[in-house]
Amino acid sequence: MEMLQYALRKFITGIPLIIGVTLISFLLMVYFGPDKTYELVGKNATEEQIQEIRHQLGYDKPFVARYLEYLKELATFDFGYSDSTGERVNSILKRTVPISLALITPGFVLGNLLGIALALVAAYYRGHWLDKLIMGGSVVGMSVSFLIVIIAFQILLSSNDGLGWFPVRGWNVYSFWDYLRYITVPTLATVFVALGYNTRFYRAVIVEEMGRDHVRTAKAFGTPPGELLFKHILKNAMIPIITRIMFSIPLVVISGSLLVESYFGIPGVGKVTFDAITTGDQPILKAVVGITAVLFVIVLILNDIFYKLVDPRVSLK
Amino acid sequence: MNTLAEETSLPKESESLWGKAWYKFRRDRTGMIALGVVIFFMFIALGVWAGLWGSGWSNVGGDMWAGPSPEHWLGTNIIGQDIYSRAIYSTKTAFEVGMVVAILSTILGGILGALSGYFTNSWVDELILWLMGVLDSIPFYLFVAAIAYALQGYPYSMHIAMIATFWTTTARLVRGEVIKLKNFEFVEAARAIGLPQGKIIFRHIMPNTFHILLVQATIVFVGAIKSEVILSFLGLGVVDGVSWGLMIAESTQEVQAGHYSNFLTASTFLFVLVMAFNMFSDSLQDALDPKKVSA
Repeated sequence: MEMLQYALRKFITGIPLIIGVTLISFLLMVYFGPDKTYELVGKNATEEQIQEIRHQLGYDKPFVARYLEYLKELATFDFGYSDSTGERVNSILKRTVPISLALITPGFVLGNLLGIALALVAAYYRGHWLDKLIMGGSVVGMSVSFLIVIIAFQILLSSNDGLGWFPVRGWNVYSFWDYLRYITVPTLATVFVALGYNTRFYRAVIVEEMGRDHVRTAKAFGTPPGELLFKHILKNAMIPIITRIMFSIPLVVISGSLLVESYFGIPGVGKVTFDAITTGDQPILKAVVGITAVLFVIVLILNDIFYKLVDPRVSLK
Repeated sequence: MNTLAEETSLPKESESLWGKAWYKFRRDRTGMIALGVVIFFMFIALGVWAGLWGSGWSNVGGDMWAGPSPEHWLGTNIIGQDIYSRAIYSTKTAFEVGMVVAILSTILGGILGALSGYFTNSWVDELILWLMGVLDSIPFYLFVAAIAYALQGYPYSMHIAMIATFWTTTARLVRGEVIKLKNFEFVEAARAIGLPQGKIIFRHIMPNTFHILLVQATIVFVGAIKSEVILSFLGLGVVDGVSWGLMIAESTQEVQAGHYSNFLTASTFLFVLVMAFNMFSDSLQDALDPKKVSA
């Protein structure tokens, strides 16, 4: 009960954030965005026809009225119909979001788990050649552009010049086997790119935790190294680790999948959004940006609740 | 006498943070090599800027996909342009993007971070924190795309978008440092003799955050170059001129036909510069931050 009250209170403080995000995005993407009128009217349209279309698209209303309408749409979760295809925005999202999640989740989870594992090894062997090897590897990983990794992996694993094991592009998933075939190359690329940053960050967190007094005490009492690492160090390092993972979720869902989806031609939410920007499909943009903002606030709340679960000293006030 | 000369080369206690940092940095071999590579790239970029080399990047001089030859050191691309001069010219583009974004976003982040840290719990702080939260919550590529379309093909829309989003990290770090610094005695003394607040913030507190700003600027520089590649590939980046991102974008068709020169050249240039800059940035951080946890 205390948790629920806290979550509600937190949500109310998150409202300014939602308003800010939606206002800035609305201003940029809708108000200054592409004008669709002349695409929709036929050739040699009369003045009335143009006015008619502008009215349908809502261009003739004042800015504040259009923005308030958008907030209403966000609150009721009903974004109307796509300007380009006439499909309901909700059904577009229902179709594309699961694809993006299925595409991005394995790489995201593996990238973080492997990052933590490598960071633990590096921190445990601090100053040793193994640590230097892992840290050197992460600087290399950080320095390769995501785009280059994607292209290189595609050449090596999918193209005819390379191994040719996996489909080059597209998304014809009808079985679990298909799914594995289509996600392997994108997943490997995502993990490769995320690993450098993750390992470095997690190692820094773990090394800082290792220097604390209670760890030295535990060591002095003869705690076995495994227990020391997992119980005394990793558990305390969980707060920054969780924060990092949680905050990357909303961005990974949209931005992270954008490049992978446009390169591999996968019809996920990132690709739909990108196409919406270039064609000026405002209902889709409004939906995606609004939902991301709400997702961010939810993540903020969940993050604090996780703190509480991990560390009983944190109070939900 | 000899021992005395050696002793004087050690840092004295009276030396400044910068003197000590430079002393430490000079002994860091990786950092020095990395700095050398960065300076070499900068030299290439300056040469392009002065018109010494790379000026023939847009000439269609050869056959399509010609192999390496004395005229075209690294072969030609799909329409017969010289890949070597394009890669060289792109070095200038990369430095232009990196410098502009790093300098402006660091200035913005430094000023807003200092204001927000000095005026904690006032509306100024609330407003800046809110702005940072908002900018961090908008998906980056969508934001860039939106700015690019809102500005109707203005060539600097990519730079503006990057500056508008990259300053927040710097501002958060500076804010934390200023909150700590503003309780120090020298600030209290400055306040006691009645200095105006602007002078306290920018003349007395800000200089003590320069080490954060410098390291952050190098990190932003790398981030900007890497983002440029992806944005150019998505068609949102460099509008006129050529960049490694545009080269990689055009190479995606060539790669499918089995011609790798364009892709490999642009990737190698990009990788070497980013790698050197990352290593330089790490060494700089080691040298400037005595508390930094490292090996």
